[in-house]
Amino acid sequence: MIESLKTDLTQWEIGPYDHSLPGPMLLRLRLDGELIVAGEVETGFLHRGLEKALERQLWRSAIPYADRLDPEGALFGELALCLAVEEIAALAVPPRAQSIRVILSELTRISAHMGYIVRVARAVGSETMVHYVLRDREKILDLFELATGARVSLNFLRFGGVQADVTEGFIERVLEICELLRIRLKEYNDLFTYNHAFIKRTRGIGTIAPELARAFGVTGPNARASGISFDVRKEHPYSGYDFLDFEVPVGRRESQHLGDANHRFLLRLQEISTSVEILKQSAEAITSGPFALRKPEESFEVPRGEAYIRIESSRGLLGCHLVSDGGAYPERIQFRPPSLALLSVLPQLVRGIRIEDLPVVLATLDIGVAEADR
Amino acid sequence: MMRGSVFSTILGYLRDVLWGIRSVWGSCLTAIPYLFGSGELSKEVTEQYPDPISSKIADDLPPRSRGFLVNDIERCTGCKECERQCPVQCICVEAEPATDDTKIWVSVFDIDFSKCVFCGICAEVCQPASLKHTKNFEGAVYELPELVASFGRGWVTPEQRLKWAKLRQQIEDDRVIL
Amino acid sequence: MNAQAMWLNPWISGFSFAESVPQWLLTACGLVLIYCLVIVPSGAVMGYLERKLSADFQARVGPNRAGPAGVLQPVADLLKLLQKQASRDWNWREAIWLLVHTMALYSTVAVIPLGSLLLLVDTDMSAFLPFWSALVLALGTMFLGLSQGSVPGWFGGIRVAAQALAGAFPALIALLCAGIRAGGFRWSEIAAAQSSSPLLWTAAANPFQFIAFFVFVISGLVLLGIPPMDAAFSAPDIHGGVSSHLSGRKLTVFRLGRFYGFLLWSVIAVVLFLGGWELPFGLSTELRNADSPRLLQIFELCWLLSKTFLLVLVVTWIAKVNPRSRVDQVTDFAWRVLSPFSLVALIGASLVAGWGAL
Repeated sequence: MIESLKTDLTQWEIGPYDHSLPGPMLLRLRLDGELIVAGEVETGFLHRGLEKALERQLWRSAIPYADRLDPEGALFGELALCLAVEEIAALAVPPRAQSIRVILSELTRISAHMGYIVRVARAVGSETMVHYVLRDREKILDLFELATGARVSLNFLRFGGVQADVTEGFIERVLEICELLRIRLKEYNDLFTYNHAFIKRTRGIGTIAPELARAFGVTGPNARASGISFDVRKEHPYSGYDFLDFEVPVGRRESQHLGDANHRFLLRLQEISTSVEILKQSAEAITSGPFALRKPEESFEVPRGEAYIRIESSRGLLGCHLVSDGGAYPERIQFRPPSLALLSVLPQLVRGIRIEDLPVVLATLDIGVAEADR
Repeated sequence: MMRGSVFSTILGYLRDVLWGIRSVWGSCLTAIPYLFGSGELSKEVTEQYPDPISSKIADDLPPRSRGFLVNDIERCTGCKECERQCPVQCICVEAEPATDDTKIWVSVFDIDFSKCVFCGICAEVCQPASLKHTKNFEGAVYELPELVASFGRGWVTPEQRLKWAKLRQQIEDDRVIL
Repeated sequence: MNAQAMWLNPWISGFSFAESVPQWLLTACGLVLIYCLVIVPSGAVMGYLERKLSADFQARVGPNRAGPAGVLQPVADLLKLLQKQASRDWNWREAIWLLVHTMALYSTVAVIPLGSLLLLVDTDMSAFLPFWSALVLALGTMFLGLSQGSVPGWFGGIRVAAQALAGAFPALIALLCAGIRAGGFRWSEIAAAQSSSPLLWTAAANPFQFIAFFVFVISGLVLLGIPPMDAAFSAPDIHGGVSSHLSGRKLTVFRLGRFYGFLLWSVIAVVLFLGGWELPFGLSTELRNADSPRLLQIFELCWLLSKTFLLVLVVTWIAKVNPRSRVDQVTDFAWRVLSPFSLVALIGASLVAGWGAL
C-alpha cells in the first residue's frame, strides 16, 4: 500500500547536556531523513545570574566574578571590567602594565583558539589532532600559572594595572612559546588543516553570508571569516594595541566558500599567527616601570559615572557597560557577549545541513554558552 | 554539468583522487616522528598522578601558585578585611580584644575550602600578611566538613573575658593617671 | 566429508578415541578451538596493540597499569564489561535473534583460510564465502540499530546498510581481480599463485592488482564501518549510533563480532594479495619435506596472523590521524572512486591474464 508508506519529518531534541553541544543548550531539530529542515535553540541552562552577583560584590572582588563570564577566555571578562572602571575613574594605566595586559590577553586568545581547534577536531573525529593541540595548550596554561598563580581563572588584572609584576623569566618563556607555536602551526596544517577528509567535512556547511553576519551582529573571527573587516583592536584600540603593528586576517571576499565552517577554522589558525606576532612585539617592547598605579593592597574608590567599553575577545566584540554610583558596590554591570549573536544566527545555519554536520557547525562557530547565558 | 570537455573532467577527477591520497598520506607521515623520533616529540606528556616520579608535587609549582590558604594566627590582627573582601564568603572570622588594645584574640578563623575559589584576594588585602597561599593542592577528603580549615585560637571563656576586661581597664586607668 | 577434518589429523592421529568420534563432532570442536585459540586472543592482542600504538602517536602513555606495560588491559576490560549490569531486561525474542545471528556470523570460521594445512573448506567458491559474513554482520548491525527505537540507533542502522551496499560492489570486483590472476577462487590456488617474496605477491604482480588490493582493503572499511569510515558509530552526532544503547556483555559481544569481521577481512586481504601463509626462505617446503605438519600449521598460522596484524595496524594508523568521513561522502567515495577504480583494475587484470595466456 502506497498510502501506508508515509515518510514524515522526525523530531529530535539534542540537549541540554550533550557532548556534541558547546555547553548546556537545547536544540529542537526537525529532520527529513538526515537533513535538518528546521532547528530551534533554547538557551538559559547556564544562567548563573552573573550580572546580579556582580552587583553584590565589592569592586575588588568583582574581578573574580568577571573571570567567570567565559571560563575559557577568563582574562577578557577581567579586562573589560578593568577598562570600564578605569574609564570612569580616569586612570592612566602605566605602560608596563599595558604590555603585560596585551601579552596575557593574546596568550588567552591563543589558548582559547587552541581549545577551539580541539573541539573542531573532536567534532570531526580526529583524535590525534586533539592530543597534539591539548599538549601545546598546556604550555600556555603553564605560562599563566607562572605569571599569575592560576591556570584558568587568573584574577590578575587590577584597576589601574595588574596585581603583580611578571615573574622572572616570563618574557623569555613567552618568546620561546612564540617560536614553538610557529613550528606547531605547521604541524597542525600538515596533520589536519590540509587533510582532504577534513576539508570535505567542513567546506560549504554552516555558511554565514556577510549580510547575515551584519543582520545578526556577528562579530569577531566568525564575522571576519565572512569578509567583514572589523576588529576592535584596530577600530577602537585599547591597552596600547594602537602602538603595535599587526595585520588582522580577514576572509577573502572573492572566495567561493566565504564564511563557511572551513573558512572559520582557517581564520582561527591565522589569528593564532597574528597573536604570535603581537606577542613577540609586545614582549620585545616591554618597558620597565611600575606595574600598577597603586599597591594592590591599598583601598580605593570608584567615582560616580557610567562607561561602555569594547574589547576584542577570542569570540568577538565583548562589551561591558558599567554604572557606578560612587559607592562600595557596582551599581550595574552589563556584558555584551559575542556568543549571543551566534546563538541567534544558529537556526539559520542548521537549516539544510546533515546531522553529521551539526557538531562541526557548532564547533566551528565557537559558541560560549557560559557568556551567552551569564 | 556541461562545463569543460570530457578529458578535463576526467583529469580533474584524477587530480582530486590524487590530492586525497597525498593529503591522507601527509597526515599519516606527520605522526611518524612521534613513533620513532627522538627528543621532544617522542616524549610522553602524560603526568601520571599518584606517581612519585612523573607527577607534580607542590615544590614543582611556580612560586605564585595559589594552593590552600594558611593563616599565621600569631600575626593575624583579626581585622576581618579578608572576610569582607572574599567574593564567595568562605572566610569566617571572630575576634575580640585581648589583654590590651594592641592585642586581638582571634577566636575563630575558619576557611571553607569547599567554597573557596582560590582567587587570592584575601591574601592580597591582608595587611599583616599573615594569610598566605601555600603551594599545596592535594586536599581530597571524605566528608565535606573536613574541608573547613580552622586557624582560630578557640572561644574565650566568660571568666577569661572578664579578666581581660579588668586588665584593659587597669591599663586604661594607668594611662589616665600618667 | 573427511576432507574437512583433515587439518585435525596431525593432532589426533595418535589417539585411539579419534576413530570412534564422528567426523562432524571433531569438526565442530575444531571450529570452537580455532575461535577460542585464534580469534579471541587476536582480538585481545590487537586491542592492546591498537591502544599502545595510538598512544605513541599522540605522545601519551597508553594502558600501563594492568600487568607489565599494561598487557593485561584487554583482560581487565573484558572482566569489567562482563560484570556490568544489563541495561535492559532479558527478552527471549532478542536472545533467539542474537543466538541465530551470532551462529550465522561465526559459521564463517569454517571457511577462514589459516594455512596450507589449515584450510577447512577449500572449494571453488572459497574466496567468496567469508565475504558474505561481512554482509551478515552488516545486516545484524542494521537490525540492532533499528530495534533500539531511538533516533541515533535508527540513523546508525540506516548508515550501516548504506555503507554495506556501497562497499560490497568494489570489494567483489577487487576479489575477482585476485581470482583472475590465480585462475580460481580456491584458497590453495590463490596461495599457489603467489610466493613468500613480496615481489611475487599478487599485489605487486602488476599495477592493476596493486589498485585492486587498495580497493579491497578500503572497501572493506566501508563495508564493515571501520574507522575512519565509521559514520554509523560516530560519537559526536549520534552518540555511537548502533552501539549507543549497548553496554556490558552485549557490548563485548558486539565489539568482538565487529572485530571478527575486520580480522576476517584482513586475513582474506593478506591471503588474496599479500602472499598468504607461505613462509619466507622456503621454510614451508622444508617443513613439508620434513613431514612435520604440526610445526608447519603453527608457523604458517603465526606468519599469516603477523601479516594480518600489520595490515590492521596500518589501518589503525590511518584511522587515528584522519577525521571521520561523513556517511554520504563515504558512500559517494565507494561508488564514485572505489567502484571505477575496481573496474579499471578488473579490466587491466583480465588483459594481463589474457596476455599471459597468449
